[in-house]
Amino acid sequence: MRLPGTRYQEPGWEEVRKLLGQCSLAALRGEGRARPDRLDDYVERMADQLLALRHGARARAAGNGYGDTVYELAVALVVELRARPADWDALCAALADGPAGDALLRKKVNDMFAVLRDRVDADNYQAACGRPCSPNRMYAYRMLDTAYHDVARLFADWRAHRAQVGAILGREILDAAAPIEVRQLRTIADCRPEWILRWSASLEAFGGGPGPLHTRSKRFASLKTSPDKIAAMLREIGDYEQLSANRDQDWLQDLDDASVWVEDYWRVLQESEDAATPGPDRILEARQDALDAAAPEPEPEPADDLADEASDPRLETLALSVSLPPGYLGEAGAAGAGHGKVARLLAADGLPVRLAVFARLLGPDDDTYPDAWRDPATGALPTMQQLAALAEVSLPTLRKRRDAAIARLGAAFNDKRGSDA
Amino acid sequence: MHSDDNTSRRLQEALLLDRRQAGDRLLLDDATLAAALDGSRPLTAGERTALQASPLTARRLRHLALARRAADAAWRGSRGVLRAAGNGPLAALVTEDGWWTLHFIHEGGGWRAVLQLAPQAPFAEALLVARAPLRVVDGAGATILAAQLDADGECEAPWPFAAAPGDHLQAHGARFTVEPLEADTP
Repeated sequence: MRLPGTRYQEPGWEEVRKLLGQCSLAALRGEGRARPDRLDDYVERMADQLLALRHGARARAAGNGYGDTVYELAVALVVELRARPADWDALCAALADGPAGDALLRKKVNDMFAVLRDRVDADNYQAACGRPCSPNRMYAYRMLDTAYHDVARLFADWRAHRAQVGAILGREILDAAAPIEVRQLRTIADCRPEWILRWSASLEAFGGGPGPLHTRSKRFASLKTSPDKIAAMLREIGDYEQLSANRDQDWLQDLDDASVWVEDYWRVLQESEDAATPGPDRILEARQDALDAAAPEPEPEPADDLADEASDPRLETLALSVSLPPGYLGEAGAAGAGHGKVARLLAADGLPVRLAVFARLLGPDDDTYPDAWRDPATGALPTMQQLAALAEVSLPTLRKRRDAAIARLGAAFNDKRGSDA
Repeated sequence: MHSDDNTSRRLQEALLLDRRQAGDRLLLDDATLAAALDGSRPLTAGERTALQASPLTARRLRHLALARRAADAAWRGSRGVLRAAGNGPLAALVTEDGWWTLHFIHEGGGWRAVLQLAPQAPFAEALLVARAPLRVVDGAGATILAAQLDADGECEAPWPFAAAPGDHLQAHGARFTVEPLEADTP
C-alpha cells in the first residue's frame, strides 16, 4: 500500500523489520541495566551493526516503490527512535523484569518498531498532504488494504470459495455464472465497504480466526459502524495508487538542492517578526476522531520469524574495528578546513567532535564528506567509539561535547536567521 | 563537493527536521502557510510561535515551499506515456503533468502532429514570450516534431514516420517527451 509521504507501508517492510531485529539482538546482547546513556548506546550500536551489514542481500533489497533500500529505511527508523524516546522507554520498561531471551527480545523490539513505523508514516502523511493522521489510522488503512487483497483473492477464485464469497456479498451464489461483482472488482477503489464488513464478520467461520473488525480490541470499533468512512479510506488508497503509479518519475522537475526551503522558513519567520499580521491567530483546532484517539498497539507478529533466522553467525563474529589508518587525524583534519562558516562555528571543537556532529546531523555516509574523513574499512565516518578513542575521552564525554556543539550551531542559526550564520 | 553555503544550509535543515514533539499535530492550515510563503499575509505572532513549536507544521511548510519552488523553476521538459489502446486511431496524448497535448490529425493520405500548451501551465507565459523552440521525441529518441511555439501556444509539423502515430509510438517505447530545443542541439 502507498499513501502520500509514507515509506514503510509496502511489502519491503518485512525485510526492514527483520534487519532491525537481527541487528538489535547483537546490539542489545550482554547489555546491562538501565543507565542514562542507554538509548545513545543502542542507537550507535545499531548504526554500526547496520553499516556492517549494508552490503548484504537483505540490506540492499528494495524497501518500497520509491527507491529506498531496506538498509536506508532501517537506518532512518533508528534515527527516528532517537528523536522519540518514549517508544524506547516503553521497551526498557518491558524488559525491566530481568534478562530476556532472544525470542522475547526480538518480539519486544519488533513491537517497538512496528508502532514506530506507523507513527513515522502518519507524520509523513500529514507533512505530504496536510490532512491529520494518527498511527492508528495508518494501521487502519493497511488493515483495509490487506482486507481488500483477501477479498480480491477470494473473488478471483470464486468457484473454490463459493460459500465465503456468498457471505461477503450477502447472498447465495449459484454455481452457474460468475457473480457480476467479481468482474466489477478491479482495484481497491471498486471495493464496497459492506464487503469488507461481511468479510471480517465471516472470517472466523471460514477458518481464518476473528476478522480484524471483529476482534475484542477496540481499535477499529469506530470503523465498524461507519461504512462511509471505510469507503472513503478505500477510495483514497485507490486514488493514490493510480496517481503514484503514473507519476513516479518527476525527474524533469527535480530541484537541484532540496534544502533551499530552509531559506523560505527563515524568511517566513523574519517577515512575521518585521510586520506580523495583527490577530486573530488562525491556529487549527485539535481534531480527534475515534479512530485517531485509539492508542497505537503493535500488530500481531508473523509466525515465520524466529525459525527463519534464530541467529546469524556473522553477527557473533562481527568485529567492529577501532583501528584507523596511521595519519588519519592529520589528513582528515586538513580535509575539513574548507568549510568556512560551519568550521568557524565548530572551531573550538576538535576534529572528533566535529565529525560526530556531522555523523549525527547528516548521517555516517554523506556524499559531501571528503574521502580523508572516511574510515577506509567501511567507507563511512568512523563510529562514535572510534571517535571517542581518537579524542581520548570516554563515549559519554564525546556525546556531551557533540550535543553541546549541536546546540551551539542551532542557537547560531536561530540568532542570525540562518542565512548569514 | 557542496559549497560552503550548501553545507551550512544542510546542517540547518538537519537541525530543523531532526526535531520531534510528542503529540505534535498540524497547527496551521495550508492557506495560512501559503500566504506566509508568498508574502501576502505574514504570520501573526501566535502563528509564528506555533510554527516554531511544531516540527510537524514546519515539515508541512517545507513540503509547500518545495512545491512552490518546483512550480517556479524553469520548465525542463514533460513526458507522457501511450495508454492502453482504445477503439480507432489515436487522436491525442497528454503529458503526465497535464500541460501538453499532442494531437494527431489525419488528412489526405498522411498525418499531422500538433503540440498544444495548456495556458494555465506555470511556465506557459515564459515559453510564449520567448516563442520557445521545442521538440517532441519518441521513446527511442527520434524527433517527432521540432518547431517554435506560435502565439496560440501551438506548433505543428507533418508526421515524419511511415507508420501511423499509434503504431509508431507503440513500437518505440510507448512514450514521448516534450523538451526545450537547446540552441546547440542539432
